Amino acid sequence: MLQFSIVEQVILAVFLLSGITFFLYHLLLRLKIVLKGKSDFSVDELPKRIVRVFDEVILHKKVTSGNRKSAGILHALVMYGFIFFGLITINHFGMAFGFPIFSESFRHTYFLIFGAPWAILCTIGILGLAYRRFVIKPEALGKFSSTSALVSVFIVTLMITYLIDELHILSGVAEKFNWWLHSGVIGGFLFLIPQSKHMHLVLSPFNIFLRPFEVPNHGAIPIDMEASEEELDNLLLDLSRLSKDQALDIFTCVECGRCTEVCPANRGGGILDPKYHFILDLKNPMLESGDVNVVDKINVEAGWECTTCQACTEVCPVGNHVEKADEIRSFQVLAEGDVPQEYQKLLRNLQETGNTEGSSSSDLLNELPVYTADKELVLWLGCFAKHAMDPNFVSSVRNFVKILESAGVTYGVLSNEQCSGDPANKLGDKLTYQLLMDQNVEELNKVKNVTTMCPHCVVNLQKEYKKYHEIKYEVKHHTQVISDLLEEGRININPGSLEKVTYHDPCNLSRTLDEVSAPRNAIKAAAPEFFELDESGKDTLCCGAGGALWWKKDSGEGRTHLLRAEQVIESKTDTVVTGCNFCYGMMNQGIGPLTPDGQEEIKVKDVADIVAENLS
Amino acid sequence: MKIAVLTKAIPSYESSIRVDNSGSWIDESVVNYVVNESDSYALEEALQIKEQVGDDSEVVVVTLGSEANTSKVIKDGLAKGADRGIFIKNDSNTTDPLTVAKIFAENLKSENFDLVLSGLQSDDLGSGQTGVLIGELLEMSTATLAIETQVEGDKIKVKRELESGWFQWVTLPFPSSISIQSGINEPRYPSLKGIMGAKRKELNTLESTPEAQNQSFVNLFIPKNEKVTEKIVGDSDTIVAKLMDILKNRLKVI
Repeated sequence: MLQFSIVEQVILAVFLLSGITFFLYHLLLRLKIVLKGKSDFSVDELPKRIVRVFDEVILHKKVTSGNRKSAGILHALVMYGFIFFGLITINHFGMAFGFPIFSESFRHTYFLIFGAPWAILCTIGILGLAYRRFVIKPEALGKFSSTSALVSVFIVTLMITYLIDELHILSGVAEKFNWWLHSGVIGGFLFLIPQSKHMHLVLSPFNIFLRPFEVPNHGAIPIDMEASEEELDNLLLDLSRLSKDQALDIFTCVECGRCTEVCPANRGGGILDPKYHFILDLKNPMLESGDVNVVDKINVEAGWECTTCQACTEVCPVGNHVEKADEIRSFQVLAEGDVPQEYQKLLRNLQETGNTEGSSSSDLLNELPVYTADKELVLWLGCFAKHAMDPNFVSSVRNFVKILESAGVTYGVLSNEQCSGDPANKLGDKLTYQLLMDQNVEELNKVKNVTTMCPHCVVNLQKEYKKYHEIKYEVKHHTQVISDLLEEGRININPGSLEKVTYHDPCNLSRTLDEVSAPRNAIKAAAPEFFELDESGKDTLCCGAGGALWWKKDSGEGRTHLLRAEQVIESKTDTVVTGCNFCYGMMNQGIGPLTPDGQEEIKVKDVADIVAENLS
Repeated sequence: MKIAVLTKAIPSYESSIRVDNSGSWIDESVVNYVVNESDSYALEEALQIKEQVGDDSEVVVVTLGSEANTSKVIKDGLAKGADRGIFIKNDSNTTDPLTVAKIFAENLKSENFDLVLSGLQSDDLGSGQTGVLIGELLEMSTATLAIETQVEGDKIKVKRELESGWFQWVTLPFPSSISIQSGINEPRYPSLKGIMGAKRKELNTLESTPEAQNQSFVNLFIPKNEKVTEKIVGDSDTIVAKLMDILKNRLKVI
């Protein structure tokens, strides 16, 4: 066993204490900034949070998701290595001061069971990751990172020095030198971690634990028109501030670039790069100002490109709510009065007519029965159906009505239905949003059950309104109503056609409302030849219409709206079914022009269409 | 610099237009009144000139009409950043551009504006004369169809849009009245501070007594919409002959 002189012990103590002090200083500096954020952390539903930490940290579920399975497994080897080396490290330093925590025999056993295998596995892991980063060079990882190179060297050194020490390969001065090298590297980590992306190994378990359940999770911005000048100034000041959750996200980011890889705007050729625009661009301003008032540092143009599809948040392995389109847009609209021209018309329509299209009447609304208190369901149409934004969708509404009637469900429409306000909300015009919401809540609180074919409307009526009002009604998406009717045996289906059918998951339904099974239940009952698209369920690719981008004038730049239609065509399906009117419209717009000459055009259907066509 | 922006409330494009009982005007009760499009470009141009020239400048948004129709127009102007508003109340239906211009001139004379900006034309009546007529009545220099402006000391340079892709630069001495073409700039959106602050801004209401109009609407009607399709068949000679007959005798267009 190695012996240490007083001088050595003093040098080691000074080295470790300075490393720990440095580490804690930077950690506390960041925590201090995080705590300046708006709205407090929430720790509700504790068991769910603990399960989540287990899934995402210990089981690495998100790290190994998608096309990063092998990289994820290599990362797991390194992480487990770190965990198993925790005790070894304490023993390592304890020994120098004459207080080892392992007895000689335990140390030997631990080496055989954990130390040796994980030293080798961890080395394999880090070498694999280094090969990926420095030889394969995936685009998402960005430019050459010297800290990553240093970390690779550090870890390999740690493992080798550890093995040399345990196997007693060296003796005398060489053995001592080996011991000091191992210690130096561990101390080096204390200096390396806090200022780099490697901070994630400290923060990500906490960030995953604290992550809000709602996706997205933007705070309400209630506007009181009678507010005093001071109150208004405070509200505007608040618009530039991040929440505690968002602030912690930024220091936790591991810079892996998955958010950018899945971003439909980025994949479609836009400038939006969520890793930088929504996360890393804000890091230095936060450190420099020591505060969280950095919303104005988000690239405005990139912010307008976001479809708010939440793919970035869904994919993040360290628990970040990435999307900040809501923050930058609210800031631009409310504080700066800066709204792209194409959206000004939309917002004026909403203010003046209560619908997105500026229409004064709706044929579909007039055609359907009016809701009265004796009826079971309010059929909420939404602007898309009401104003025939895709004229074909009107027949989908009629098909849903046919299903309701065949099941004997009584329903009616509200003649004074206003736009749910989704586009205003998503564009950051919270004032126009409130105007519409207040009118709708007043009407809806008089009824019990509401259903709509528009997931955007569901999200607002059910989730967003709750942030501002007490709501007394329940909203179901029509695919949920259909799935329930099937389950209860109130409608029967005779699967008629044997064509190939696939399903495009709408972002609002899958990621925000967490509903992927109801539409599948309904489709599978009607179409036995059902198959999944490559990107499906919660990993779906946005159709391009979200975040009010349906109303964006096509400037020729970026082709977000064509990506998904292209994938559908490549899938060689006969029919693509969707559960959202906007997706339906986008599919129709994309598939027509993209279908190669001589190939039959893929049919676009709503879930209601395929069910109604096969009712027995 | 003291800048007046003339804005008009017009029926929105999506409003369902009905002729009222008099048969010479529309039923205003079912119409949604909004800011005339080119006027919002005039306002933006004025605000940009103010920002460029300096803080002692003032932008005053001016409108004429009934309170019910125009209240939104003034509020919108103030919310976007105009410093104060002048509302010239006129409940009679004044449509003749010269009569309208005289009301404006009379009420704005004492203000001594350096610059009067107006939209190129109102999207409901489309006369396109009011701005120039006011300029003449107030002895100002005038220009129409501006697609760019540059303030240079006591003069303003204006790029005017002519026909078929031609442009003209003119330099006008102040005071000046200029009508603004849509698309000259990117109009701003009222910020929350602007909307809330608008309530505290000064709004002068002036009464007007319009003189008898030189011209007025006699009869207003909605064009009859007919869908008639006729297929002309035969060899090219027969088709030409038949087409000529229709154009000459039935439609009387040649």
